[in-house]
Amino acid sequence: MKLLVIEDEQALRENITTYFNEDGNICESSVNLAGAIDKLSSYNYDCVLLDIGLPDGEGFEVLNFLKKAMKDEAVLIISARNSLDDKIKGLNIGADDYLTKPFHLAELKARVASVYRRKAANSNNNIIFNEITINLQGRTVEVNNTPIILTRKEYDMLLYFIANKGKVISKNAIAEHLWGDEMDMHNNFDFIYTHIKNLRKKLLDAQCKDYIGSVYGIGYKFKA
Amino acid sequence: MKLSVHYNKASIIITVSVLFVGAIIYFFTINYIARKQLDLNLIEEIDGIRDYVRVNNKLPKQVDFDEDLVIFIKTDKQKFDKRFFDTIYNNPKEKKKEEGRGVMSIITLNGNNYLTTLIVSRADTEYLVQIIGLITLCLSIGLLLTLFITNRYILNGLWKPFYKTLAELKSFNISDDKSLNLKSTKVDEFNELNDTVQLMSLNVKKDFQNLKEFTENASHEMQTPLAVITSKLDTLIQDETLKTDQYEQINDIYAATNKLSRLNQSLLLLVKIENNLIADVELLRLDILIDEKIKQFYELTNDKQIKVEAHLAAKEISASKYLIDILLNNLFSNAIRHNISGGELIIILTSDNLLFKNDGLPQILDRNNMFDRFKKGSKSDGTGLGLALVKNICTLNNWTISYFSETSFHVFKIEF
Repeated sequence: MKLLVIEDEQALRENITTYFNEDGNICESSVNLAGAIDKLSSYNYDCVLLDIGLPDGEGFEVLNFLKKAMKDEAVLIISARNSLDDKIKGLNIGADDYLTKPFHLAELKARVASVYRRKAANSNNNIIFNEITINLQGRTVEVNNTPIILTRKEYDMLLYFIANKGKVISKNAIAEHLWGDEMDMHNNFDFIYTHIKNLRKKLLDAQCKDYIGSVYGIGYKFKA
Repeated sequence: MKLSVHYNKASIIITVSVLFVGAIIYFFTINYIARKQLDLNLIEEIDGIRDYVRVNNKLPKQVDFDEDLVIFIKTDKQKFDKRFFDTIYNNPKEKKKEEGRGVMSIITLNGNNYLTTLIVSRADTEYLVQIIGLITLCLSIGLLLTLFITNRYILNGLWKPFYKTLAELKSFNISDDKSLNLKSTKVDEFNELNDTVQLMSLNVKKDFQNLKEFTENASHEMQTPLAVITSKLDTLIQDETLKTDQYEQINDIYAATNKLSRLNQSLLLLVKIENNLIADVELLRLDILIDEKIKQFYELTNDKQIKVEAHLAAKEISASKYLIDILLNNLFSNAIRHNISGGELIIILTSDNLLFKNDGLPQILDRNNMFDRFKKGSKSDGTGLGLALVKNICTLNNWTISYFSETSFHVFKIEF
């Protein structure tokens, strides 16, 4: 997947590119609007990560440019502004998703994967990871062609893990993904363990390799 | 007490006392003048008698003096100073006693001295004084009545612009857009007042707006550094050579960052609610939303072994789904956070109100400021903005929220 990160905050930009690059993606970046439009007019990308507050203008310009140039890059807005108006405006002029800062890189990656899948409109709406096959339309999972029944939370968790395969994901990030960041977890993530344990058991029961590992009480890793 | 009543009271007390003192002085002056006049008349009459005696060489008869009473008494005194005195006058016609005024003087006839006493009725003078007094009294009452009516009606009319300004000020809301509607009047002072009030309200609004913008900007500016911290941590934990205690440190940083970001979002939300920026009002089924929340919070309640009991009647509200979501999140979080292990959470929704009852430590909470920002229990690890948000969302929807304790339960009640 080829990505363009348009973000003026250097530290954040670098972290995003590093996180995405490790997975065999090509991740380019731009610090401002002019550079971004320059890049977008010369190259094609699969997905654009767009910050709204840029030093030389509003990120919405990029959306307008893409619309005018009839380019169909998937666009995910990452904004410091958690305003409904901005969200609606962004989505109305062609953005595919809107993520408010601060966010977990794992969340960003899962969102990008989801946006990319939707945009790419794969003829087969399946995610295949080794012996695991996920049917996105039917929300069903098969391991070695044997269907397994997952709860909604387990299904979401599996999808999240696969999007972030090979990465350590903090419990914090998992909780926010599954329960939404508006819910106050009181920094108690023990109950995540139950869901992970169940998911792992179901996968193992279907003769799946043991992919899910715990990492020192900080989180979990889906081994690629 | 109203201004007009105050003014009326003061002006009537002053007027009455001035009139009273005035009337006393007036009465004595009139009396004095009348008496002087009477005395002058008496002197003239005594002189008349003297002339008569000199011309006619005899004492006049009583009949010559109309109704005036005259007495001649022979005396040996050679000298007698003229003396005026008040006495009783016997009216011969009407056969009754009246107030009289008399004079005593010496009249000499053929070498004999006669002590002459002349008494006249004072009834006429008294009558005059009474008439004057009556007229004065009538005038005074008239004056008082006029004053009273003037004060009551004209004063009220005069102060009307003031009351209008007052009413405008009462309806003044710092956070809404419309400015004060103050009309100019004929009275300079009121115009000045209106101008000052107008200027002040604009300044206050500007300051408030600045404050809100500051809060909003500050919160926004904090989002990006927070995003940097989070992403750095997310990157840091990829390094599996880290030791367990380092992971523990990172966990704490995660928790603090999470709290900071939650705090930030709550602050932003508060500003937005106060600015009335969330206007996506729609019809919602509150009972369904609560039911969904119970499921959403299942893990949290289950973890603490809290027994959740819900009695939900169908209730439709029109509000922002986003805000109701936050309202319920905070009520649930609160009821779970402060609950005891194995405790109860009872949610009752009727068409009039919503009750959240939860078990908790038996402590008395400060009802007065528990809905204020950053007011929280000493043991609470929340942001201190949860209940402030709840309160603001309720206020925005014209609902009232109250707290009370009921046996072992802490109860939050929202009245629609």
